[in-house]
Amino acid sequence: MKALLTKVLNTSRYLGLIITLPSLIAIFGILLIPFVNSFSLSLYQKDLSRPHLDAFVGIGNYIKLLQDARYLNSFRITLTFSLISVFFELILGVGIALVLHQRYKGVGIARGLIILPWAMPSIVNAAMWKWIYNADYGALNAFLHQLGIIDQYQIWLANPKAALALIILANVWKETPFTAILVLAALQSIPAELYEAAKVDGASAWQRFFTITLRLILPVVMVAGLLQTIWGFQTFELAYIITGGGPFSSTELITLRIYAQTFRSLRFGYGAAMAYFTSLVLLIPAVAYIRAAYRAIVEY
Amino acid sequence: MKKWRFLILIYFLNAVIILWTVAPYLWLIISSLSYKIDLLTVPLQWIPRRLTLENYISLFVDRGSTSGNVSLFLASLRNSVIVAFSSTLLAMSLGTLAAYALARLRFPANNLILLLMMGGQMLPPIAIVIPLYVLLRSVKLLDTHIGLILVYQSFILPLVVWLLRSYFASIPSELEDAARIDGSSYVGALFRIVLPLSAPGLVSVAVFAFIASWNEYLYAFIYTNIAAKTLPVLIGEFSTKLGLEYLRIAAAGVLASLPPVLLAFIFQRYIVQGLTAGAVKG
Amino acid sequence: MNTKVNFLISLTIIFALSLGACAPQPTPPPPVQPMVTEAPPSTVETQAPLEQAPTQTEAPQEEVKITVIFPKHEADLTGAFEARVREFEKQTGIKVDLIQSDWDSIADRVIPEMATGGSAYDVVEFDNGWVAEWCGAGWTTPLNDFMPAGYTEGMIPGLVDLFTCPDGKVHGLVWNNDTRFFYYNAQKLSEAGIEAPPKTWDEFVQQSLAAKEKGVVDYGMAPFWNQEWSLGNEFHFWTYAFGGEIVDDQACFLFNKDPNTLAALEFMIESLKNGVSDPAGLTYDQAAAQDVFLKGKTLFLPQGIAGLLAYANDPAVSNVVNQIKVGIVPGVQEGQSTALTLPEAYAIPANSAHKAEAWTFIEFMTSKETNIALAREIGLLPIWMDLYTDPELTSLYPHWADFFKQLATARGLSTLTWYGDFVDVATAEVHRALAGEQTAQQALDAIAAGLAEFECTP
Repeated sequence: MKALLTKVLNTSRYLGLIITLPSLIAIFGILLIPFVNSFSLSLYQKDLSRPHLDAFVGIGNYIKLLQDARYLNSFRITLTFSLISVFFELILGVGIALVLHQRYKGVGIARGLIILPWAMPSIVNAAMWKWIYNADYGALNAFLHQLGIIDQYQIWLANPKAALALIILANVWKETPFTAILVLAALQSIPAELYEAAKVDGASAWQRFFTITLRLILPVVMVAGLLQTIWGFQTFELAYIITGGGPFSSTELITLRIYAQTFRSLRFGYGAAMAYFTSLVLLIPAVAYIRAAYRAIVEY
Repeated sequence: MKKWRFLILIYFLNAVIILWTVAPYLWLIISSLSYKIDLLTVPLQWIPRRLTLENYISLFVDRGSTSGNVSLFLASLRNSVIVAFSSTLLAMSLGTLAAYALARLRFPANNLILLLMMGGQMLPPIAIVIPLYVLLRSVKLLDTHIGLILVYQSFILPLVVWLLRSYFASIPSELEDAARIDGSSYVGALFRIVLPLSAPGLVSVAVFAFIASWNEYLYAFIYTNIAAKTLPVLIGEFSTKLGLEYLRIAAAGVLASLPPVLLAFIFQRYIVQGLTAGAVKG
Repeated sequence: MNTKVNFLISLTIIFALSLGACAPQPTPPPPVQPMVTEAPPSTVETQAPLEQAPTQTEAPQEEVKITVIFPKHEADLTGAFEARVREFEKQTGIKVDLIQSDWDSIADRVIPEMATGGSAYDVVEFDNGWVAEWCGAGWTTPLNDFMPAGYTEGMIPGLVDLFTCPDGKVHGLVWNNDTRFFYYNAQKLSEAGIEAPPKTWDEFVQQSLAAKEKGVVDYGMAPFWNQEWSLGNEFHFWTYAFGGEIVDDQACFLFNKDPNTLAALEFMIESLKNGVSDPAGLTYDQAAAQDVFLKGKTLFLPQGIAGLLAYANDPAVSNVVNQIKVGIVPGVQEGQSTALTLPEAYAIPANSAHKAEAWTFIEFMTSKETNIALAREIGLLPIWMDLYTDPELTSLYPHWADFFKQLATARGLSTLTWYGDFVDVATAEVHRALAGEQTAQQALDAIAAGLAEFECTP
């Protein structure tokens, strides 16, 4: 018996499955039934306030989605929002991590403070920025006005481009610490010997940066990037509280559409289809990404 | 570049970073200590002329109820602490094992599992909120700590697994190979070599898992009502039919961000370079 | 080995999917009957009642507990409602689990529970915007089963009608008579040299511009025209105030044909350009609009809550103490006036296990006695007409005489089973017009196009 146990524990194949299993059970035990339920719901017309119209429509909801101008608009906006956010989050995150990686007086304080934005409940973050962006009394207007950058208070949130930019700003402010801390931890894990060895071999500072530093933090950066993109697509409070989706739907994220359709219009079937369709579309680049990332990680 | 020039640059950047991070939060604190009418002045007084603790007091003494000191805030705080700690503990335990397996062990469906875990994240939670509600209701786990902890595994575990996996993968495997040659088992190598080496990563991921659980809103809102209501849900209730109660949200927000920040402060000391000094030759 | 495991996993997924496809949907059952399920009952779908508590007896001998959920009243800063609930517990011996929080949270809690045929609540919040939807879904119990005949005579008729379903039965009794009134800053008005508040919208514009020119105020009004649910309320208010119509009682579109509705929308758009409205109003919610008024920056608040004066005379939140008076909503011509009312009622979910006790609760909380107590304490607007001439209350609230006049002309939101969709489409298009991106007529046409599938389906 003991021999069998030892054999199992030492064969990577079996061991791998065994110790991964509890996690899988924990995740999918909760998610499987709702997933399946939700998916089957998306194949029906299910408007709760008009139950006499309930019917199986197959992919009818999905076809309707492709013709839903408002949904397509929200998809485009969410994509823009997410990609631009992630772009800045990664760049700022890596930059901040590089600074905080150095040894200097007071770095400990900075390292502790940096998590502040991420530590705030998202509702508080959204309410705070809404207040800052207020047209008549907001801190942003006051700040820019007192610095002389603008001569009159602006109604930022009534301008579609400005509104989107400001929401991205609020999002980047909140999410950057995530990338920064992860990259910082990765930087801290790089053995100093690698640098020593490279120096001995005659590599310059830039060469050391590119061949060692960047290469070793790349996996973490890519994972952080993927997660941030996915979370970007799931952003809700920021848009709901600050602009409500306006001005005239120019900051209307997909989650707002799903919420409106499911909770306010009570169209459960259509809302479910919207959610599934969005994740399906996300899945394709994600799969490509994972395969590419996997290769990159394994290869080095 | 010269050492002192480099140092000046670093200090400058450090100041910029701290300013960028802290400025809005400082404004939040100032707002929470002000009277609403004072905040509506133009030009804005950055340092208010008069301060008040009323916004904070109203959190602990619920004046809207005749049952006296109903400390909803403290109750929610307690719930948040219980749920966040337990979720993190559970996720780290299960997730470390899975992450190690996915990073090091060759086994079938490795790729598929990774994909599945990530796939689960892609569906906006709002899509499964209601079916999950029905499920939890039928097993009587609504408005309980356990119910919420289990539900949270669905998004915290993948996070933990994914992040830890990349940390484990970035550690050169020579050390473990050496240990295995010396007769150690996979699990032994995990505990004795990989975990100590990836301490910075473990700590960061644990802090993240805690914060993600601490701040989660949607699930907590729908699945808790009275007994297990967490802080973000309570804060979300600070609004009237007309709009948000900013100052109360600010006060509660300041208090709600303190525990996570405290944690980060404590643990940032453990993200220390040099743990691997001397371990790898050549 | 690799392919075998993958194959097994795929099989499991396919099996689960087919299970899901066969399972019945989470339909809320028609009132009273249990759910019918054909396929393998997954725990998700079956709605077996969780408790078999006795529903007939309301005798205080057995301790019955009911769960009640409704938002906090805007003016309820002292817990007056909760006090009445405890009084109810004392008088009847029925225990009450009270859940009170903000309107949005209550809505988001109640809807999933009702949508999934749950029985967690015995008395729920019933907002007048939901009436048509809920009636269509059959989620509530007709109160006529419990009400003695003629019970609602003496209540403000409009309030009763708003909560009557197409089946002719009353499904909700109002606890929050949230009618909105026209307030103006009397002091600033006289500073601007104007004697009386406007009776027509033309006068409204003139007075706003005159006061603005004199520097007495920044704007005539700061509207709350952010792209959110309350913009739907505003659309209704202004349409009504201009004598326009949105839909007829068969839910056929009138808004895109009625010249008054067009005039209303054009007025709104124009007001942002000619200085009558604060352009920041495009980003404001109701609280922000109220803040600006209480700061003394605007002359008028066309839609203020009934309890505004309590806020206005509190120096901690207001700069206009003792300056605010109640007026009548102006009309296109003198003598015309309509106000918007957004009442909230109590309803009994169809699946409640304690309907009789729930009715006792509702009866108590909407009684004249409770109305009087709450009126005294927080200025609650009664639902019983004769309380508006009650000597004690009128001496406490002399402006109620003004309120009562307005109440006679109050109208509610459109009763449509697709009201959620209406708000969804209308707010986007109206906001686009207000921002100057399209004309009023284009907005109305776009709304009609977006809601075409619902036309004439009440």
